[in-house]
Amino acid sequence: VPTPAKTILICEDDQHLRQLIRVVIGEGFRYAEAHDGDEAVQLALALRPQLIILDLMLPKRSGAEVLEAVRKELPAEETPVILVSAWPDADEAAVKGGVDGFLSKPFEPDELTTMVHAVVGEA
Amino acid sequence: MSPTRRSASLSARIIVASVFVALLVASAFAVMISALGAIDDAEQRETRSKNVLEATLGLEKLVGDLETGELAFTLTGDDRLLEPWTRALGQLDKRLTGFVQLSADNPGQQRRARELATAIRDYVVYFLEPIVRLARENAAAARTSVARLEGKDQTDEIRRRFKEFTDAEDALAAASAANAERAADRALALGIAGLVLSALLIILFGVYLARSTAQPVRAAASAASRVAAGDLSTRVPEHGPGEVGELTVAFNRMADALERSHAELESQNEQLRQSERRKSELVRIVSHELRTPLASVLGFTSILLDRDVAPEERQRYLGIINAQSRRLSSLLNDFLDAERMEEGELELSRQLIDLGSVVAEQVQLYKGQSTKHRLDAELPPRQLPVNGDPNRLAQVIGNLLSNAIKYSPNGGTVHVQAEQVNGVVRVSVRDEGLGIPDELQQGVFAKFFRGDADASGIPGTGLGLTIARSVVEAHGGRMNFSSARGKGSVFWLELPMAANGQ
Repeated sequence: VPTPAKTILICEDDQHLRQLIRVVIGEGFRYAEAHDGDEAVQLALALRPQLIILDLMLPKRSGAEVLEAVRKELPAEETPVILVSAWPDADEAAVKGGVDGFLSKPFEPDELTTMVHAVVGEA
Repeated sequence: MSPTRRSASLSARIIVASVFVALLVASAFAVMISALGAIDDAEQRETRSKNVLEATLGLEKLVGDLETGELAFTLTGDDRLLEPWTRALGQLDKRLTGFVQLSADNPGQQRRARELATAIRDYVVYFLEPIVRLARENAAAARTSVARLEGKDQTDEIRRRFKEFTDAEDALAAASAANAERAADRALALGIAGLVLSALLIILFGVYLARSTAQPVRAAASAASRVAAGDLSTRVPEHGPGEVGELTVAFNRMADALERSHAELESQNEQLRQSERRKSELVRIVSHELRTPLASVLGFTSILLDRDVAPEERQRYLGIINAQSRRLSSLLNDFLDAERMEEGELELSRQLIDLGSVVAEQVQLYKGQSTKHRLDAELPPRQLPVNGDPNRLAQVIGNLLSNAIKYSPNGGTVHVQAEQVNGVVRVSVRDEGLGIPDELQQGVFAKFFRGDADASGIPGTGLGLTIARSVVEAHGGRMNFSSARGKGSVFWLELPMAANGQ
């Protein structure tokens, strides 16, 4: 019996980037997509994904606020988070929020795959 | 200039007050010196009285000598015993004249002196001399009691007059002494009063100086400390005599100037800070706006380079890369435009165009952008001729349409109208979107203004409307809007109609 595919929640307001992230990580995962912060929190709590890829600059609720809300319900060891931001100085927020990885835009596809595999393993 | 009343200068006041007090002190001393004079006068008067009394005594003695000589001769008949009589008689006239002259200064005394002199002379001439003569001829007759008795009356009269005279002289001397004492007392009292008054005046003037000078000066000093400590709004009450008043006025003027220049510096600083903030905001926005499309371009090109991608997928990726590159390019153009406008270097080509067809093209272009929105255009059958830059004007109308769609995230109708009104061509774009709250309306055309678009997740640089309005104004037109929160917005622009279009 094959293990059920792991779920990755992609929280990013730019549709092309969402698509890129999916393509880069590749098949073997189940993907959920959130367009804004509210949706991100809802989906995270509903799906309890094995990984959240979270853009810091989201409409309605910022990535930092999403992270705070998610961490109240889901501990870090259960739901790892990779932060994505256009701000190189967001490292600091990443460290503070206790996240598992940080990507700054633009990023190399290999960076993302390496990070994802390190956190959730191969598909 | 503040209406400062010119008060007499402080030094003038001090000089006047000093002169006044000096005069007062001098008068007090003059009065006291005059008292000394009165005492001196009294002493002179006393000396004279003493002389007069001495002379009186001498005269009494002389009369006594005359009587003694006469009596001795009459009783003895001895010529030798007549010697004092002869000597005294020889001096009598001179002594009497001198005696009368001594009281020349007092008419009453002189009258008494004359009467006394006359009485003595009468006594001598009518009694003593006849007695002596009688005694020479008939000693016994001269010794008779009748003759003696007659002489006794006259002697008593003379004695009485002597007493009267000396009593009067004593009274005169006493009155004069009392007078002098009174005058001296009065002068002394006046002098002391003058000195006390002077002292009081000096004290009062000192208090006045302290009050009117020290107090404002102290106020100015403590105000200066407060100003030095940074409280530039400190002012002092503008009063005080002469120079002190001028000091307070000058202090306030200085504080005004300081406050003004401080405020100027402060506002320059604030402008600098604002421009700093705008710059870092620009860097932030540019960075963010460029990085997102760049991430797509970089990501998809890497995938195409590194992986085997099915042809239809490849086509889709290339489409994304192309669109994102265009997005980057137009973002860069916006930044450049905004920069150029800032420098006043926006270049426009001028040609006769139909603004109606520009609007129609843009509406057509944006119709495909959203399925949630209905775009309807209301255009006149006639052309709307303007002199202008077709690309720039297309950019402006495109920006208004794009905003109308972006800021009505729940969809709705976007109504575009172009018309000719009173010699101008007017284009308006009405949406049924979020609207702009009153408190944000002021900044709508400012560079990098995004309202609460970030929170709403609406993308953009905050440059579109800034550029649009600049373009319209560079065409000699104007652009504005009306809006309310939740009620949608109407953005409109007016351009002058081309003259040959009529």
